[in-house]
Amino acid sequence: MAEQMYFEDVNVGDVMPELVKGPLQKLQFVMYAGASGDFNPLHNDDEFAMAVGMKNGVISHGMLVMGIVGQAITAWFPQKYLKKFGVRFAGMTQKNSTITVSGAVTDKRAEDGENIVSCEVIAKDENGDVKITGHFEASLPIK
Amino acid sequence: MADLSKTGVEYAPITWEVERGKIREMAKAIGDPNPVYLDKDAAIQAGYKDIPATPTFLTVPMMWCDQMPAIIGDLKINFMMVLHGEEEYEYYQLMYPGDVITGTPKITKMEEKTSKSGSKMDLISMEVLYTNQRGEKVAKARSLLIERK
Repeated sequence: MAEQMYFEDVNVGDVMPELVKGPLQKLQFVMYAGASGDFNPLHNDDEFAMAVGMKNGVISHGMLVMGIVGQAITAWFPQKYLKKFGVRFAGMTQKNSTITVSGAVTDKRAEDGENIVSCEVIAKDENGDVKITGHFEASLPIK
Repeated sequence: MADLSKTGVEYAPITWEVERGKIREMAKAIGDPNPVYLDKDAAIQAGYKDIPATPTFLTVPMMWCDQMPAIIGDLKINFMMVLHGEEEYEYYQLMYPGDVITGTPKITKMEEKTSKSGSKMDLISMEVLYTNQRGEKVAKARSLLIERK
């Protein structure tokens, strides 16, 4: 459980604890399909995926990788402080990939009576290929 | 090929009841062990009213609601050629089990682009502002879909 976090304790350049997940199995894509409602066969049917050009078979839902980035963020900043979270999907994630999420604080400021920290995040696979670049903002309490 | 005349079009509202089991299922599918999403007591101890919906939970009403195929059909998109380009959420308050959220999908922008390699694609921007059963703003979801041609 994250300890109480205050705006004063967070500084530009602070680094997010890295989250490493994987290898991502097809079973997890199937679980995510059921949870999210996204049953696109690209994520659960190897034959279909190969027929449309995915030489290693099924690929991850982009939203699963975003969910993993969300896990990394909320392990650092509790969700009650989260104000904004956005990503750009930079590449497809193959099955059996291992994803590493990292990030850092890029800005902190007072804005409309709130104390906001802005961060950038990135998710890469084991080859260093970027899967997601993203950003989030949290509104933190002050001491 | 996407029907680029659809900018500004709104679709039938999505209504979704947020359930404890679905929040837990999302956390488990992601593989997130944070007890805040799994156990009500742990959530209360951490300062929540109940277990909160995970940051990307709003994909659930969108994908389960049955509107998506109709929207894709109306926009004349070939779903097999669609990539998810971007997703962004703005959070105004937490969602808890029992909340009933409603949002109206709106097409905010449609445009054709040519990539550096010369291939053409259509970019579709959609926005859904969700409110809860008290009429309060909960969150806004923005999606960018890319249809390769």
